[in-house]
Amino acid sequence: MKIVKIREDNCIFCHLCEVACIVEHSQSKDIIKAFKREEKPIARCTVEFNYPVSLSVMCRHCDDAPCIEACQNGSMHRDDRGYVVVNPETCVGCWMCIMACPYGVIKRDTRRETWGLSTKCDFCPDREIPACVEACPNEALTLEEL
Amino acid sequence: MKIVIVGNSVAAINAVEAIREKDKISSITIISDENYRAYSHPLLPNLVIGEVSRSEDRFYYRRPGFYEENKVDVMLGKRVVKINPKTKVVELDNSEKVEYDKLLLACGGKPAKPPIDGLELEGVHTLTNIKGADKLRKDLKNINHCVVVGAGLIGSKIAEKLAKKKVKVTLVELARRVLFPVLDDKGADFIHKELKELGVNLILNDSVKALDGSNRVEQVILNSGKKINADGVVVAVGVSPNVDLAKDANLKVDKGVVVNDYMQTSDENIYAAGDVAQAYDVVYGTKRPIPILPLAARQGRTSALNMLGMDVKYKGGFPMNSIAIGKTSFISMGIVDSDELEILSFERDGEYRKFLIDEDNRLRGVILVNNIEKAGMFNWMIQNKFDVSWIKDAFLNSDFGWKYFNKAFRVLRLDRKIK
Repeated sequence: MKIVKIREDNCIFCHLCEVACIVEHSQSKDIIKAFKREEKPIARCTVEFNYPVSLSVMCRHCDDAPCIEACQNGSMHRDDRGYVVVNPETCVGCWMCIMACPYGVIKRDTRRETWGLSTKCDFCPDREIPACVEACPNEALTLEEL
Repeated sequence: MKIVIVGNSVAAINAVEAIREKDKISSITIISDENYRAYSHPLLPNLVIGEVSRSEDRFYYRRPGFYEENKVDVMLGKRVVKINPKTKVVELDNSEKVEYDKLLLACGGKPAKPPIDGLELEGVHTLTNIKGADKLRKDLKNINHCVVVGAGLIGSKIAEKLAKKKVKVTLVELARRVLFPVLDDKGADFIHKELKELGVNLILNDSVKALDGSNRVEQVILNSGKKINADGVVVAVGVSPNVDLAKDANLKVDKGVVVNDYMQTSDENIYAAGDVAQAYDVVYGTKRPIPILPLAARQGRTSALNMLGMDVKYKGGFPMNSIAIGKTSFISMGIVDSDELEILSFERDGEYRKFLIDEDNRLRGVILVNNIEKAGMFNWMIQNKFDVSWIKDAFLNSDFGWKYFNKAFRVLRLDRKIK
């Protein structure tokens, strides 16, 4: 199964992966609307910086995903492609997946009224190549068999 | 092969999934005394106040159709009354008999009964299953002042939910703080504040001696002599493993059903998983029941693979909890309070971080309040007995993350070369 390989030596801390991720997960998939008019999605990848280190980190789509095991109602599951995704319709934001994720790559969206929403990389189901990989200008993120 | 599973919750469902990943032919029978498909126990307090209903998908542990898709024969509303390990048969309460080749005990726990007089009065509730939650929900109209006995996970959560519903709530806890086993004093103070803000009357260092009333509970009498007028009580002093079946079958039972590293009980054809099982605790280095959902799932899977003869070791687990009360959310894992361990801690602007490290530089416990998103990275370190000597200085940074790790290690981990 292909996942996003992180090549930190190439990363220049430009955050374009985050921008592309936000646009891809927005309602309109339009960069201006996504950033200025609609409720801005949370980026599923995170660029970390600690001079001279910089890298973008996102879900590794584990074979034995501990987040799936920790989920209290099956919201965190493996989709038909084999990637680990959240069902936003049923997620209750208990953050047990966050407690379990060995990579620390699940984020909290607390903007919904009743239930929180676990937010993580869904490997862009509408795309052939994930948005972050496509947006990365210098192959710090590549699509590879791991 | 005939596989029979007693119980229909997290351990049972994960066992089914693990079996069906490997084996489409063996028959699987689930027997449960509850009449519902597997549901989410942590949502019971939400069910009580109507935040979630039984018609919603989110209340259930798996989507409708799960049993059919996995070819599971489900016998609901039936109680197993006896296991006969010699003939490999379980007997049900309607004297029906079910044969098995491998049996999985995943029958969970039951609410512990504290030594309180008057528990049989009307208006006294427990909250460990749908039945209890429904009974409490229907009784809410009769409750103006509810006393919650025990400030554990269920107690604190239902106190919060009832207070939100504008019910007057008094929460009584024997220990000096709420959530005693999963928070230290400082962490618990965050929750104390939230509960008080919600209007919960908090009584610590005290316990309930008796409930008084003619038919319905009218008064709660504490050990300190204090008397509280109340027309509802929720008893939430913990759960204890359902070991009776195993005991009757002469399986080795301690606090829970004793299992080896393969989740196998003292009978080679019987396995146990979830809240009923007494499995290995990595942090304390002993076997004890740890009744939490992620471990039930892992144990269910492990036991299933071993029932299929695959030789998969259960690596052990440790207590971990993720809870939100009011605006405070926290995650804690392992040992949360100790005089012997090295302690790193930090508190500022509503964030609290605490790390407990032993003399071999192994992380043994963590508390994270309000900044919890990297919690799982510490979970991994505890589980894998990772040497933290070179990274622990970064633990107290609010922005802790991959950037603080040694490059070679970071690359190997993120490439999934070290699991």
